[in-house]
Amino acid sequence: MFTRFLSKEQQRKRALSKVAPGPLAEYLGTPFPSKKLNCRETEIIAIDLETTGLDPGKDDILSIGMVSIVNWSVQLSTSWHRIVQVDKAIPGESAVIHQITDDQAAAGSPIEALMPEVLKRMAGKPMLVHYSPIEQNFMSTVCRKLYGAPFVIPIIDTLEVAQRVYERRNHLIQPGDLRLFNLRPRYNLPQYKAHNALSDALATAELFLAMADNLYAEQPCPLGEFLSRR
Amino acid sequence: MEVELIEIRQFLEQRNPFNYLSQELLDELPKDIEIRYLRRGSTFPPKEGYMYIVRSGAVEVYDGEGELCEKIGEGDVYSVTCQLVNLSQCERGEAVEDSLLYLLSCDRLKALCRNSQAFNEHFSSSVKERLKSAVTTIQESDDPTVAAMMVEVGSLIRKTPITVESGMTIRETAALMSNKDVSSVMVMKDERLVGLVTDRDLRKRCVAIGLTGNEPIDQIMTPDPETIEANTLTAQALMTMTRMRFHHLPVTREGKLIGMITATDLANHQSANSAYLAADVRKAKTVADLVDVSGRLPNLHRRLANASVTARHIGEAVSCLTDAITGRLLEMAEETFGPPPVPYVWMAGGSQARHEQSSHSDQDNALLLSNDFRPEHDGYFADMAKFVSDGLHQCGFVYCPGDAMATNPEWRQPLKVWMSYFDRWIESPEPKSVMLSNIFFDLRPVTGTFELFAPLQQNILKKSQENRIFLAYMMANAMTHRPPLGFFRQFVLERGGEHDDTLDLKHRGIVPITDIARILTLSLGKEPVNTVDRLRACAGTEALSQDMAENLEDALEFIASLRIQHQADQIRRGQEPDNYVPPDNLSELEREHLKHAFKVIQTIQETMVKRFGADKLG
Repeated sequence: MFTRFLSKEQQRKRALSKVAPGPLAEYLGTPFPSKKLNCRETEIIAIDLETTGLDPGKDDILSIGMVSIVNWSVQLSTSWHRIVQVDKAIPGESAVIHQITDDQAAAGSPIEALMPEVLKRMAGKPMLVHYSPIEQNFMSTVCRKLYGAPFVIPIIDTLEVAQRVYERRNHLIQPGDLRLFNLRPRYNLPQYKAHNALSDALATAELFLAMADNLYAEQPCPLGEFLSRR
Repeated sequence: MEVELIEIRQFLEQRNPFNYLSQELLDELPKDIEIRYLRRGSTFPPKEGYMYIVRSGAVEVYDGEGELCEKIGEGDVYSVTCQLVNLSQCERGEAVEDSLLYLLSCDRLKALCRNSQAFNEHFSSSVKERLKSAVTTIQESDDPTVAAMMVEVGSLIRKTPITVESGMTIRETAALMSNKDVSSVMVMKDERLVGLVTDRDLRKRCVAIGLTGNEPIDQIMTPDPETIEANTLTAQALMTMTRMRFHHLPVTREGKLIGMITATDLANHQSANSAYLAADVRKAKTVADLVDVSGRLPNLHRRLANASVTARHIGEAVSCLTDAITGRLLEMAEETFGPPPVPYVWMAGGSQARHEQSSHSDQDNALLLSNDFRPEHDGYFADMAKFVSDGLHQCGFVYCPGDAMATNPEWRQPLKVWMSYFDRWIESPEPKSVMLSNIFFDLRPVTGTFELFAPLQQNILKKSQENRIFLAYMMANAMTHRPPLGFFRQFVLERGGEHDDTLDLKHRGIVPITDIARILTLSLGKEPVNTVDRLRACAGTEALSQDMAENLEDALEFIASLRIQHQADQIRRGQEPDNYVPPDNLSELEREHLKHAFKVIQTIQETMVKRFGADKLG
């Protein structure tokens, strides 16, 4: 009820006290990084989920893509991408975006088989996403369902960062300005043609490197300044 | 590989040198990549121990003195910090645009080198090896429509070689030749080729001078004739024949005699060739006939280029034809104006003298007259000069814009005046005269009394060798043509960071090398005029290492081949051929090779400026 007034660290401890032993308990047992860390020295994990829709109560995760920033470089050796098994038919309009077909989704792994690996990879790191409510809500819904406790994680949301940059400069935000692929050219980042969970996670990671370097040029970049207040 | 990283794989697989890697290695490659962002103004490279591939943005790299060495953009690779062979002192720089970089650790790079030979060669080979392979690559390019020119000489040999033994009589040889119906035979001794006899030899060296026919064949044969290897291309065999003025060439395979090839064999095989043209030049009755023959020159140029004949040989072929045309025009002039009042020699200057003409070169020439020349003779030589110069112009060798032609009274003078010209140029050089006289330091007699030329040449070589100030001026003048740094995106990258839209292959690549070769030969008192011959003559001296000489030769061949290909394309499209290539028309590999060639030129220029004290001139 009052979780929004608690710090992430307090939320983590509270969730840990409720959860049964298992993958989520192990995840929640790992302390979060200090807000005082320099983000250039922090390991950050970028993630993107493709889903069948926007409602975690009704819709499903279709695929998960992750890649880590280590020592301020995106390390492609850490890239990880999985298709999630979905039994229901995928709505046509979402298939157009993520291009995952019913057959591919049926051949994927069940979400409960994937979650231990996902949680292990994310333990102790901030999660980097572009527009965090989707990932936060879907992950929490899955965790509650599988492990009986919410998913708690410090979040860096590049959409929020972009919003702050615009507001700081007193720019009026036009519809579409804050979309991932409209923000990237502003930092001279290339357009990737592919649209899947991993390439979007990678695109988000690159965008974050560019944004942070531009906001904190030649000075330490405090992690706490980027953490989402959500 | 994660199929989702396919975009990164696709980006890399199109880039040199990653395109050398196997599919399997390419599949694994994206996983080894790190991605880093550099804001404009950030230091490059951000960390040691990596090679860098620019994904977007641009980076400039400077040498120890802060001079720009290189500017790299999308798709360009920077591997200096990993290089086994360090080619450059340019190890520091900065991002000049916001840039996204792909990084590959030097350790991974070395592992890839162990797994792929071609990839390895890219990183470990010296400039020399790279330029060599560049020259080979360009010569291997093939155009099926000119397959005829690509045929090897060996495949045209139909008959087993007809030979006679050394010591056989002339009569026996002649009988064998008419029996076998051949126009030539080879003379053997201990299974070794020792001579060549043709119908012409029987006429000129036997019948005409009244030999009985009982003398040994050795007396009239051409001893130790030139031979040609069976795997030589017909086009190249033609060049050799035209150059040496031979009609017969014994063909060997791995040193063993397999037969004889004649100009007729080659002409039957391929009609639009230079030997054929040279024969037509000799047959020409009027200037109009010559114009007709030379009208086929651009086509020959194009066909030779397509047949991947070396730039050097094309230059020789065209120059030989210009010589032939000049010679025929002089014969016509003498038929028109009568015999010359005093001996003369017609001299070619510039590219014709160097045997490096292209089908659209302008004419540079001069008349050297006997010291018996008197002012009243000038009318004759003025008429002769005008006749030849106009004829050459009509044949496509346009008038020299600098008026360096025998029609200019200044360049139509007796030996003693020419001697005084060179004395002045060499002993009291000034920048302007050096520039004008450059053309006459490439000088070759074409037709006439060659004896007139020898004292002039000896005088030039003796004086130029001794005169350091002259050489300093020549070198300072040579520095007005410097190669660019390389390329950046669709531009030519200039020293200081300026961008140009086109690359002038002639003035930025070929001229600097011909200038270097000229100055070196003059400083050493060597005779050759052709640039490659000059480089070879100077190689291994204190002034020019063997290695540098070979590098320059390869650089010249590579740049000249590009020029010939460029001009052949223009001729095919019906355009006027020129020297200007837009960098967009160059492949990534060609750009890379050019960059190495530029580096070679830059290095020798800097060495020579110091050596000749050109930097100390006021």
